[in-house]
Amino acid sequence: MRVWLPPVLLTVLLCALSAGMPTLEPLFEWVQPDKQNVVYERESFLFLLQNHLMLVVISALVGTVAAVAGGIFATRPAGRDFLPLVSQIASIGQTFPPVAVLALAVPVLGFGEAPILVALILYGLLPILRNTLAGLEGVDATVRQAALGMGMSPFQVLLQVELPLAGRVILAGIRTSVTINIATAAIGSTIGARTLGDPVIAGLVNGNTAYVLQGAILIGMLALTVDSLFEAAERVWDRRFLPQTAG
Amino acid sequence: MSIYSSVASNTMPNRVLPVLGCLALALVWLLDLGVIQPNRIVPGTGHGLISAVGGPWAGLVSLVLAGCVLLSFLPLRRRYLPLLGLVGLSLALLPLLLEVFAGRHLPEDAPYARSSIGAGFWCLLFLLSLMLIEILGRLGSGRGLQLMILAVIVGNWLWILRGGGLESLSLVREFNARPDKFEQALWTHLALAFGAVGISAGLAFLLALKMIRSVAWRRPILGAVSFLQTIPSLAVFGLLIAPLSALAAAFPALQAMGIRGIGWAPALLALVAYSLLPMVRNTFVALTEVPESLADAGRGMGMNERQLFFKLKLPLALPVIVEGVRITTIQAIGLTAVAALIGAGGFGSFIFQGLGQAAMDLVLLGALPTIALALLADALLTMLAASL
Repeated sequence: MRVWLPPVLLTVLLCALSAGMPTLEPLFEWVQPDKQNVVYERESFLFLLQNHLMLVVISALVGTVAAVAGGIFATRPAGRDFLPLVSQIASIGQTFPPVAVLALAVPVLGFGEAPILVALILYGLLPILRNTLAGLEGVDATVRQAALGMGMSPFQVLLQVELPLAGRVILAGIRTSVTINIATAAIGSTIGARTLGDPVIAGLVNGNTAYVLQGAILIGMLALTVDSLFEAAERVWDRRFLPQTAG
Repeated sequence: MSIYSSVASNTMPNRVLPVLGCLALALVWLLDLGVIQPNRIVPGTGHGLISAVGGPWAGLVSLVLAGCVLLSFLPLRRRYLPLLGLVGLSLALLPLLLEVFAGRHLPEDAPYARSSIGAGFWCLLFLLSLMLIEILGRLGSGRGLQLMILAVIVGNWLWILRGGGLESLSLVREFNARPDKFEQALWTHLALAFGAVGISAGLAFLLALKMIRSVAWRRPILGAVSFLQTIPSLAVFGLLIAPLSALAAAFPALQAMGIRGIGWAPALLALVAYSLLPMVRNTFVALTEVPESLADAGRGMGMNERQLFFKLKLPLALPVIVEGVRITTIQAIGLTAVAALIGAGGFGSFIFQGLGQAAMDLVLLGALPTIALALLADALLTMLAASL
């Protein structure tokens, strides 16, 4: 259970900071003595946190399902034709800067939460897709043969042999994707999504460093919390499936 | 290219190209090819394929796409070469569609009217590019051919652009309204991104050496640089404002150098911090994975440790180090665009200005060069790594 301690502590701290930001007013008055409002009040921090997290979670879920499905399709006999192109897309696509992808979503889809969600899903899909392909292609052919020889159907082999073996790599891909998407969602407040980037942008526009600080601290905390969650999940995975590294 | 050869022999019918071709055919007919706006901000009216470029051109576009689909079904050994010609030529001549569109629809007497690129055109461009990638892959072409084709296509686009038929395109108008600013943005962007890559390369080299010399430093250094990478860029930029303003206020000399809470200083600092992880990781891995047997051979030849490092380990490690530089450069080019939010300039300033004014073509003027820079850096550094 000790692996879950850091994420739990960070989550508690994150929620406490979001809820209790107004009580830190004296501190921010010291940072920004010349402004009347030193605590961002247009939206509650808890709401922004929740909205930010929702965008990231939805895009991660949709992205994972789509990327894993695509990766499975491209590595089956029926879809093998597509494998070279799919893996090229996964690697070339990651060359595109996330901000540019976000910016391109606006002319097509307009302002607000929808373009962000689409951009996050599309961009977040790529690292997961790449890792799914790497994980599935990395499964030893002899292992697959042995499973088939034991009388398993191809579907059973996929479900009970290939996916568990590739799972760790796929999980690492999801972690990369979520880390990028937390950052991109924060920038998303420039195109009208209400995320923890809002106080930062508002602070930059009005020259209010206190706002910037509040947003930046919470965004950073959110990223650390989620990352520690993945860290714990990866440890648990290793302990369960790789007995030799458990000690 | 090993995955290509293992997939199927060249005479097998290709199923990827028909799928892409049919998708392109459907989207180019369903979506608007171009949009005519009465002025910069007002949303315009979209035009589908037939209405945009007229019957003959619409027929030609459909014919080319249908031809690609049919050609890819034929079990011919050499069909990829004509396919390459067809798709490459279509890509190279694609801007002509916009020229025809502007010529047909733009009123002569409305100086503020502008044409802009519609979703159909973008889809066509995207799917044709995918087809080109697929064909080049199946041909097992080398980098030289790939770069030559890319140069021909881009050269042709520039040639069409210089012809003047695209003057009314709003993207071109946005550029023509500020050529000086564009150039300045380009240099600022390059200076920030490459400055950060250069500084972090030096720092990372020192850190990697430290990690190699003492095992105790490995975990703390790697932990610190990956911690930096986890914090979102916007947060890092934001967190640097207060301390740097305080520094500038305390030391007027720093302020005279242009170091303030916003501007290039926090941007460069944050970019360097971000660049450290890929740089340190690759440099360390590259230098430690030189086989010990080779080092022994060098020692046997009478090399001292210094010669061993510069004449043997460093050259062997260089491809992996360059791979680290590639990842770092692409990342830095993207993050420099975000740094425009704290007043660092570069192409990001067009993106965020455009978003602020709801002027989509200004957004494109910032986003497209950023993507082009990233792709260019990727291509050049991949080539460099391959040639080492």
